[in-house]
Amino acid sequence: MNPALELDNLTKSFGKTEIIRGVDLSIGKGERHAIIGPNGAGKSTLFNLITGRFPQTGGSIRLHGADLAGKAPFEINRMGLSRSFQITNIFPKMTVFENVRCSLLWSMGYRYNFWSMVGRSRALTDSADEILDQINLTARRDLPAGVLSYAEQRALEIGITIAGGADVIMLDEPTAGMSHSETDYIVDLIRVVTEGKTLVMVEHDMGVVFGLADQISVLVYGEIIATGTPEAVRANPKVQEAYLGEALEAH
Amino acid sequence: MSDQLSTDPTKPAQRMRAGSMTIPLMPWVLGAALLAVLPFIFTANSAITIMNQMAITIIFALAYNMLLGQGGMLSFGHAVYAGVGGFACVHIMNMDDFFAAIPLPVLPIFGGLMGMGLATIVGSFSTRKAGTVFAMISLGVGELIAACSVIIVAFFGGEEGVSGDRTYGLPFFGVEFLQQIDVYYLIAVWLMISAALMYLYSRTPLGRMANAVRDNPERAEFLGYSARWVRFYSFVASGFFAGIAGALFAINYEILTEENLNTTQSGIILLVTFLGGVGFFFGPILGAIVFTLVQTVLSLQTELWGFYLGIIFVLTVMFFPGGLAGLIMMHVPAMRLGKLGRLGVPYVKTLGAGLIGCLGAAALIEMTFHVRHASTGDHEMTVYWTTFDSHTVLPWVLAIGATLVGFGIARKTAPALAEAWNDANTPDGTAQ
Repeated sequence: MNPALELDNLTKSFGKTEIIRGVDLSIGKGERHAIIGPNGAGKSTLFNLITGRFPQTGGSIRLHGADLAGKAPFEINRMGLSRSFQITNIFPKMTVFENVRCSLLWSMGYRYNFWSMVGRSRALTDSADEILDQINLTARRDLPAGVLSYAEQRALEIGITIAGGADVIMLDEPTAGMSHSETDYIVDLIRVVTEGKTLVMVEHDMGVVFGLADQISVLVYGEIIATGTPEAVRANPKVQEAYLGEALEAH
Repeated sequence: MSDQLSTDPTKPAQRMRAGSMTIPLMPWVLGAALLAVLPFIFTANSAITIMNQMAITIIFALAYNMLLGQGGMLSFGHAVYAGVGGFACVHIMNMDDFFAAIPLPVLPIFGGLMGMGLATIVGSFSTRKAGTVFAMISLGVGELIAACSVIIVAFFGGEEGVSGDRTYGLPFFGVEFLQQIDVYYLIAVWLMISAALMYLYSRTPLGRMANAVRDNPERAEFLGYSARWVRFYSFVASGFFAGIAGALFAINYEILTEENLNTTQSGIILLVTFLGGVGFFFGPILGAIVFTLVQTVLSLQTELWGFYLGIIFVLTVMFFPGGLAGLIMMHVPAMRLGKLGRLGVPYVKTLGAGLIGCLGAAALIEMTFHVRHASTGDHEMTVYWTTFDSHTVLPWVLAIGATLVGFGIARKTAPALAEAWNDANTPDGTAQ
C-alpha cells in the first residue's frame, strides 16, 4: 500500500538560498503527522511545495503514489489534498454558508456548471449546513465571513479545508494567535473533523502537537533531523539540542 | 469566546430561510409590467427613443458587471464585444437572402454569438491574470480593435461605419418593425430575457465561483477550481450579453460606427456600471437609467453635461463607492428597525439646502461659460427656464447667494443629519 504522502529528497532554492535541503518523509494513511521546527526552518515552504503553491527545485512529491510535480494547486486539490493557511484565507465578502458551499462545489461534481441553480440542490445545502454544524458556525451562517471573530474565521478556514472531502488534510498553524480556550476549542474541532483522514500540520504550540499528533517530524534548516512518535522525538537528544529543550521544559 | 461560537438552537427557522431555495419573482414581474406599460405613459417618439437607448445600456451594463462586480475584472475595452456584435448584425441585415429568411427578433442571438466568439479568443489569454494585467490587456485589445475599424474597412466600414435596414427581415407575426414602438417591445423582451439569464447565471455554481475567485483567487485554487478558467467563462458569458446589447443597438439605430467600440464607449460603460453600483445585481440597471437620462435630457439643456457627469462620477468614486445601489441599500438596516422615517426631516433640510447650493454653483458655471464662450454682443442666456442678460450684476448676485447659502445651510445641518443617521441605525433601548 502506498503511503498517503511521500517526499523523496525534496529540495527548494530561492536563488542561491537553499530553503529545503533534501527532505525525505513518508506519511501513512490515517496518520496524524505534525511538522515542528524553529522559525525559518522551512515548514511553510514545505507546505507550499506539497500543495503546489511553489514549484519544487528537485526531488519528488507523491500523493497516494501519484507524482505531483508541475501540478497546479487546483489539480492537487482534485486529487484529494486540501490545505488551510497560516494567515486566514477565506472569502470575506461572501456569507459563511457560501464559503462552505463554494468549497463543496467541485467535489460534488458541479465543476464549471452554469445550467443549474446552487440554491435548488437540497444535497448541496444540506452538506454545507452539516459542515457548519460540525464547525459550530450555524448561528453565523448568513453573516459575511469577514465580520467573524478571529477564532471563528479560523474555524471556518478549517471547515473550508475539510468540506471538499479530501483525505489528506494539511493545516498550517491552525492555532496561531489564539488564546488558550480558543486553542483547546480548535484542537477538539480538528480532532473531530479529521477523523479517519490523514492529517499533516505545522504547529508551534507544543501542547497542540503532543495532544494531536501520533507522529512528529522535526525540521531544522531545511532538513528533517528526526521523525517518530511523540515520546521518541521528545527523548531524541538531537532534537532536544536543536530545538525542543526549552519548549519541553515548559510542558 | 466559546459562547459566541456555539450554535443557537433557538433558531431552527434560520436554516430554512437562508436556504434561499426560491428566487424572488416579484421584482421581475414588476419590471416586466413596467416595461409593458411605459410606452403608454411616455408616448412621444423621442421618449421611446430614450427608453430604447436605456434598455440597451442596461443590458450592456449588466453584462459589464458580470466582469467588474461579480468577477472582479476591470475591463477598459468592453465596448469591443458589443460593437462587434452590432457590426455583425448590420452585415446580416445587408445579406438580403439570409436576412429575409430570419425574423428580426432572432437577430440579437447572432450578435451575442459574435461577441462571445471574440470574447473566447481574447479571453483565452487575457483572463490568465486578474487585476492590472487584465485591465491593461483589455485596454490594449480595445485600442487594437478600434484601430482596426479604419484598417479593415470591409467589416467596420471605415469612418462612415456600416448601415442597414432592419425592415428587410422575415416579418414576425406580421410585424415588420417599421415603428419605433415595435422596436421598443423587441428590445424590452430581450432586456427581460438577458437580465433574467444573467441573474440566473449568478446563482449557478460557476457564477458563485466567480464571486469566490473575485474575493480570493488563491483560495479558490485550493478548492479545486482554476481561477483562470472561472474568469474565462465569466468573460465569455459577458461577451455574449454585450454582443446582444450591440445587436439591439444595430436594430434600433440601423448604423454602427467606430464610436460604438472605441475606448470612449468602453469608458462610458465602466462609468455607468460604477455609478449604479457594482455590488448589487440591480446596480447597473439604475446606473444605465440615470446615465441615459442625464445624457439625453440634460444634454438638451446644457453643453456642459459631460462636465457635470464627470463631477458626479468622481464624487461617487470618492464618497459612495457602492454607487446608487449602495446608497439605497445603506438604508435597509434603518428600514428593518422601522426608523427610516426619522431621516426624512434631516434629509430635506440638509439635502434640500445642498441641492440649492448645487443649482447655484451650476448656474455660476453656466454663466461663466456663457460670458467666456458666447459670440461678442450675445449677452442673453437662459438658465432654469429664465432668460436674462449675463453681463448684469443681479443674476451673479443671486447665483453666488444661492451657492453660499445653500452649501452653508447644508454644512450647518450636516451634524444633525449624522446624528439622525446614527439614531436610525441603532436599535431602540441600546445604550450609547
